[in-house]
Amino acid sequence: MLIAAINYENNMSYALTFLLATLFVVAVLHTYANLSGLTLHGSGGGSGFPGDLLPFSVRLMGGRQSRYALRVRWRDSSLGAGEAQLDVPPNASTEAQLYARASQRGRFLPGRLLVESSYPLGLLRCWTSVDLALSGIVYPSPQRHPDILGGSDPGQRGRWHPRPGEDEFYGLREYRKGDRPRQVYWKGLARGQSLQSKQYSTYASEDDWLDWDSYPGVPTEQRLSYLCYQCLQLHARRQQYGLRLPGLRLSPSDGAAHRDRVLTALALHGLTQE
Amino acid sequence: MKSADLIPRNALAWIIAAQLLLLLPHVLRLPLWIVLLYGAAFFWRLQIYRGRSAVPNRWLKLLFIGASMAGIAASYGSVIGLEPTVALLLVAFALKLLESVARKDGYVVIFLGFFICITEFLFSQDLLIVIYSAVVVWVLTTALIALHRSAAIDDTGPMRLAAVMLLQAVPLMLVLFFLFPRIGPLWNVPIKTQAAKTGVSDMLRPGDISSLAQSSDVAFRASFAREVPPVSSLYWRGLVMSRIDEGAWRTVSYFETPPAERRAPPVEKTGESLDYSVIIEPTQQQWLYGLRYAEARQGGILQLPDYRLLNPVVLEQEFRYRVRSWPEAALGRDISPWRRRLETQLPEGSNPRTRALAESLYRDTGNDAEYVQRVLALFRQQPFRYTLQPPLLDNNSMDQFLLETRAGFCEHYAYAFAVLMRAVGVPARVVSGYQGGEINPVNGTVIVHQFDAHAWNEVWLEDRGWVRVDPTAAVSPARIEFGLENAMREEGSFLSSSLLSPLRYRGISWINALRLRYDAVTYQWQSWVVGFDGQQQIDVLRGVFGEINARLFVGVMLASFGSMLGLVAASLFLRNRQGRHRDPALRHIRLLQTRLRRIGFDLRPGESPGAMGRRAAERFPGASDDLRAIARLADAALYRPLGSEQRGKMQRSLRRQVRRLRLHPGR
Repeated sequence: MLIAAINYENNMSYALTFLLATLFVVAVLHTYANLSGLTLHGSGGGSGFPGDLLPFSVRLMGGRQSRYALRVRWRDSSLGAGEAQLDVPPNASTEAQLYARASQRGRFLPGRLLVESSYPLGLLRCWTSVDLALSGIVYPSPQRHPDILGGSDPGQRGRWHPRPGEDEFYGLREYRKGDRPRQVYWKGLARGQSLQSKQYSTYASEDDWLDWDSYPGVPTEQRLSYLCYQCLQLHARRQQYGLRLPGLRLSPSDGAAHRDRVLTALALHGLTQE
Repeated sequence: MKSADLIPRNALAWIIAAQLLLLLPHVLRLPLWIVLLYGAAFFWRLQIYRGRSAVPNRWLKLLFIGASMAGIAASYGSVIGLEPTVALLLVAFALKLLESVARKDGYVVIFLGFFICITEFLFSQDLLIVIYSAVVVWVLTTALIALHRSAAIDDTGPMRLAAVMLLQAVPLMLVLFFLFPRIGPLWNVPIKTQAAKTGVSDMLRPGDISSLAQSSDVAFRASFAREVPPVSSLYWRGLVMSRIDEGAWRTVSYFETPPAERRAPPVEKTGESLDYSVIIEPTQQQWLYGLRYAEARQGGILQLPDYRLLNPVVLEQEFRYRVRSWPEAALGRDISPWRRRLETQLPEGSNPRTRALAESLYRDTGNDAEYVQRVLALFRQQPFRYTLQPPLLDNNSMDQFLLETRAGFCEHYAYAFAVLMRAVGVPARVVSGYQGGEINPVNGTVIVHQFDAHAWNEVWLEDRGWVRVDPTAAVSPARIEFGLENAMREEGSFLSSSLLSPLRYRGISWINALRLRYDAVTYQWQSWVVGFDGQQQIDVLRGVFGEINARLFVGVMLASFGSMLGLVAASLFLRNRQGRHRDPALRHIRLLQTRLRRIGFDLRPGESPGAMGRRAAERFPGASDDLRAIARLADAALYRPLGSEQRGKMQRSLRRQVRRLRLHPGR
């Protein structure tokens, strides 16, 4: 355009060319102002297995000014794509959902976020890279041990230990206060025996201890993967299980919270706490 | 493709609006099919938007491009030159819309739009066109902003932001405009091949000027440094015609002139000089107009051997030049044999009765000067008529004009006069240009219209050189004294074919006042904006800063940019800051909050200042007493019903407490 202006010695072409040039300069400020003063709150993370997408959310607050066409993405683009475009109305907030693909076992740190915008003219990109200290937990990837069949068949179990439960009749004992009426051995009472309660048990094998030492000679990561697999299997079967790791012991329990505790312990095993 | 990468629909609407606006001023210059193509492209794009038709595929696009090239070549006869190039751009602009689906295509269309906006300026830099283009630029910028915003179609946000940004950019643009060095063209550019040449031409046949006289267009405007000379003496020389070819007068070209004659003979500059500058409308010709004897006061303008001014390139746009004239200087006191031969030549055997008449008149006088007077007396005494509607002459026969019809316009008289002179060997030639002009009382410029076009003669007389003789003045003195309008009053033929010209309504005083005012604005516009050139730039800078050097240039540039951008930045960022609270107590609390936040204390939304103070007191045991006191004072100053005097006391002690507070991070 400038060349057209020079060659034709056309003043209005000069004027328009310069207007566009200065518009560009002014746009620098506007683009910057669109981002400046933005407040970000990061949350989420959660946990997952390697290769899973971990959800994070970033809340953007713009203050009294409205913000347009913001893009939020990971600075490390291998983690996954970001949010396309977000507008933040004045005195309100907008939430951006981001997913990052979890890589290896441990504490997952997606690192810095890139908040950028090329509004209003699209000629300039203003960006900032913020560290919201987002983190997630990546469990070991579950792997089934080729020899030990992970207790998939209860018949192949080793020794059984009686534990209080409701599955199988185990024996009788003296009635204690608090025993349910269903438990009372009424037949015995009728025969004139003392008040006794029926005892049921859930069989627990040795396997319901996820034990570090079950896999001697296996490298650490591999061991954790096996333990992870076992944990998932046991959880799926709603069994109780505990965890024994060097320097860590989680007593047997069940439920999703317990599973998460166990998996987290596996995920963080051997990693220095930061 | 993700939906975020598509052109939002409101941006599409703005783009189409901008395209329509950009097309409009070009419409009259374009062949009809391009206008129809725009209609078709808009319709097609609309159908694509509604999902009823598809985006054209590659082969179809290639077909369109080929067909358009062929169409332009057929319409213009070539694809080289300014008009075909612009037409090609406009066609590309229309076709690009069809394939514009993604946001990046939107950019291309919008930037093409800005470029097309510039092409309009190559045709006209009229004030109205520039105002119109400013609107177009606004719409284009709006489209560009809308392209980045996902908003409803009736959202006016992009429009407002575009206006704000453009207004912020304008002062900086002006700085660049006035400071950017004006260098000459870098290379030759395609010129307008189709534009009609306007104004006086370098061939003069009887009837040429009378057809010009129907036009009320402005030929040029002149502004004199001092008083404007009497209008009757304003003979704007443009062309000097010394040859008759096939009944038409024409100029002698450079190559017809022997090398020894190619330079203008020196002129002794006597008498008072006149300084003036002329802004000439584009003529697509090269010659410039000036009062005799004129010398250009700027470089780059040629002086031809017949003392006229020539611009080296065709005037495609308004052009401003500065001239100094010495009206009393004698031109060409010595005449070379070659020139004498040239200026006395007549075609063999033409106009025998005129020659006979000339010889009989000359025989009675014997003196060239007296002979001139005799011929003028002939025009005065015989029943010659000055008319815009002269009867046609066969073969431009002067015999017929002088002895039979005796009715003609200035070019008839000039032609006949020169023939009468040459018939007896007196060197004479025809000069064409403009005579007179209208003085604009608003700013004192002389507006010369096309209907002021005129032709007169120059006769070479011993010791006096080339003397101006105007035979029309002999026939119709009113033409010279009062202009064509008065001369043609009886005939009623003045501007009879241009009913809409405001000049026709000069009689109505307010229309006339308005016209003259607008003309004055146009002149200012042309001289300061359109005609702003390197010379003017240096004059202005010298006027403001005295000496000019590179350091000053850079300094002014940086200072102006810095201050302007500073203002813009301030306006942008200050609105973002938390405003000062009107309640002093809240102001002190805000200060405290900032300090607390800085040392890692989280503020909770919706927490009252008192609650915050108490929470902080637990967190910072070292300052817990102070913080508790602050919390109490804050609650009291904010919420307790107090008289203004007591509240003021509370606020003051709150401030004291906040200032006295010492906080240490950690517990």
